Amino acid sequence: MFETVEDVQKDLEKQGYICNRRIATVVYLACKLEKPVLVEGPAGVGKTELAKVVAKASGRPLVRLQCYEGLDEAKALYEWEYSKQLLYTQILKEKISEVMEGTKSLREAAERVGKQDSVFFSEQFIVPRPLLHAITSKEPTALLIDEVDKSDPEFEAFLLEVLSDFQVTVPEIGTFAAVTRPIVFLTSNDAREMSDALKRRCLHLWIDYPDEEVERRILQVKVPGMDAKLVADVVSLMQKLRGLDLKKTPSISETIDWARALLALNASVLDEDLVKDTMSVILKYEADIRKAQQELSRMMTKATPPAATAPGMPVPPRKKGTLH
Amino acid sequence: MQRKILEFANLLRQSGLRVSVSEAIDAFEALDALSIADRDVFRDALRASLVKRGDDIATYDQLFDLYWSGFYDNLKNAFDSATGSLGEQGIDVQQLLEQIRQMLESGQMPEGEVDLSELARALLTGDLNQLEQMIRAAAAQAGAARIENMLQIGFFSRRTMEALGAEGAANELRELAARLRAAGMGDAEAEAIGKLAERFFEALRKSVRDFMERELQTRNFDYMEKFRREALFEKSFYSLTEEEIARMREVVNRLAQKIKNVMSIRRKRRKKGKLDLHTMLRRNAGHGGIPFELVFKEKRKDRPKLVILCDVSSSVANVSRFMLQFVYSLQECFTKIRSFVFVAELGEVTPVFQDHDVSKAIEEALEGGGVINVYTRSNFGMAFHTFWRDFLSSVDAKTTVLVLGDARNNYNDPKAWCLRDVHTKAKNVIWLNPESPSAWGFGDSVMDKYLPYTTMAEECRNLRQLSRIVDKLVL
Repeated sequence: MFETVEDVQKDLEKQGYICNRRIATVVYLACKLEKPVLVEGPAGVGKTELAKVVAKASGRPLVRLQCYEGLDEAKALYEWEYSKQLLYTQILKEKISEVMEGTKSLREAAERVGKQDSVFFSEQFIVPRPLLHAITSKEPTALLIDEVDKSDPEFEAFLLEVLSDFQVTVPEIGTFAAVTRPIVFLTSNDAREMSDALKRRCLHLWIDYPDEEVERRILQVKVPGMDAKLVADVVSLMQKLRGLDLKKTPSISETIDWARALLALNASVLDEDLVKDTMSVILKYEADIRKAQQELSRMMTKATPPAATAPGMPVPPRKKGTLH
Repeated sequence: MQRKILEFANLLRQSGLRVSVSEAIDAFEALDALSIADRDVFRDALRASLVKRGDDIATYDQLFDLYWSGFYDNLKNAFDSATGSLGEQGIDVQQLLEQIRQMLESGQMPEGEVDLSELARALLTGDLNQLEQMIRAAAAQAGAARIENMLQIGFFSRRTMEALGAEGAANELRELAARLRAAGMGDAEAEAIGKLAERFFEALRKSVRDFMERELQTRNFDYMEKFRREALFEKSFYSLTEEEIARMREVVNRLAQKIKNVMSIRRKRRKKGKLDLHTMLRRNAGHGGIPFELVFKEKRKDRPKLVILCDVSSSVANVSRFMLQFVYSLQECFTKIRSFVFVAELGEVTPVFQDHDVSKAIEEALEGGGVINVYTRSNFGMAFHTFWRDFLSSVDAKTTVLVLGDARNNYNDPKAWCLRDVHTKAKNVIWLNPESPSAWGFGDSVMDKYLPYTTMAEECRNLRQLSRIVDKLVL
């Protein structure tokens, strides 16, 4: 699929995903060793996106399982279709009485029914959920288990079998082993630490905020038609904002949103007023915005040459939530 | 290579990372799948398979540098500088080495066999790979893994040199030079060989010492850190320095995170209640009313409401500081937190916490939060009376009241009946006192007067005690 680490980097880039060597190395290893990858990192750095892009780059359909509190095996692995079973017993009533014909005792009847009961617990009556689907699919898939930290600790136990042996056991039928092994990505925001058993079965990838150069390239790919100078200014300001002690540090998705907003506003130069007006795109807490505004003039003088800023200009009051 | 990776994995373990055997095997497989010529790829591959927690990445990076940035490079430096200094004296070292190598290979040693030891041979041929391995083996034999402090470097270096058989090798080299001379080699050349041997020997000694220093660094990497953390846990809040307070804040945050993790599991373990007939019938309507799925009522665990009364006089300020930090890091474990500060006057500082981020709010609250004067003498009686008069209505049967203070009342009226009324209304009254129970009730301490009206009164002088109490609190 991918021949070298460089291949991974190139193929992902073709899909519009700029990544560093580290990410490429781990993706390459995951494909090569057929091991799941646990992707961690702050929100909005492209963890889920990575899985989607790898699926696209390798031409595999993506099977996605979104985790949440209370997710159980019936929703993640498989479920018996009770109503279908019920319906079938109704429809097949006559057939059943045919089977029962000539039985003399209750015991004999029960035995005959017992011989048939596997009919009602066959694959026909199983509703495959994402995990089983990914395992039994004839063509190779990419499986994304999103926000696995939101699921309950018990749910992790279900995952272990899938992740280490790529198989699912249904007690009534037996074991479904994977025809082709899927590439598995698990993403986590670190809301809860995953169990060691789960971690042991995965490769670990920590995606951090990108450095300036990577972020510039991301913007160029994601928001085409933006002036190179503006891109550089936006990125350098974002990098500085991340240095502040904020409640929610802005990440790449915010950078992209902001760049799009600036593009929509037809902005060509990044000046202080513009930043203040559009800040609600980047920062999501009132306290953060206040803090950033205090620091803004200091950061801006470094972000743009002094000529571009307009010192002494009256600052218009920021309208609340204009861009939310 | 495998041995080195295993050793590295071991090192990571010693530094507090959890690395299992299967993860080490993954690392081997990963390296098989990749070319390890690229150092960065090598680093990333090891990291992906060995390190599974974001917090550990910094440790890993540092240890990786220490371990893999190669003792070999140091060895090479030492020997390069040795050849360099010989070169300055007009000796063509490369040619000399070549000569010796040929002599050794052809077995044409003058005056019969000179039985050179492995070490001497490696030194003479400048086989650094071989030397590195020998030093590692010798260090292991000398028990260098037990090295614990700077003072032991000399000791372990000496023992490693002994294990290497360095003294013997030096003698052999001296003898070799003498024999070469006797065999009619030019004086200058023989002397050069002698010098070479001497310098190389010196380089070896230096490298061994260097090896020990690195060893110490890697072994001790986390030792100091761990030691300081442990010490911090036990250290009394009274005697914290400015820097320790900063470090403590980190530790408290980490503890709070841990408790939160445990909480998320605990809340799940609430017991299942009775059969929920209504919901069950509705949910099973699709099956013709036959109850395939059973639905139970869930017993939810109540999250406690918290009222904190913090003494912010200088004697207890630190306990209050960390308690507040704890409580506000655990905000989501409580339905509501109201905090009050007092010295003699009492005032509510809850709004301060809504306006500022936690660390800033705490500092402000300790300064009185703009509602009380902190430069007075403690008066618990007055503070409790104010609370009883103005805020008793905020206490109900779901509320836990947390009092932080040393109960040193400066011989004022304790007004214990105020606390009694609070006690009757509240679910719990917990008192944390930085003084040990043996001092309660002596001098101006009125702790004994308040004691009957508390559900739990604990000594809380250091972080370990504090974390235990917080654990009980959210349970």
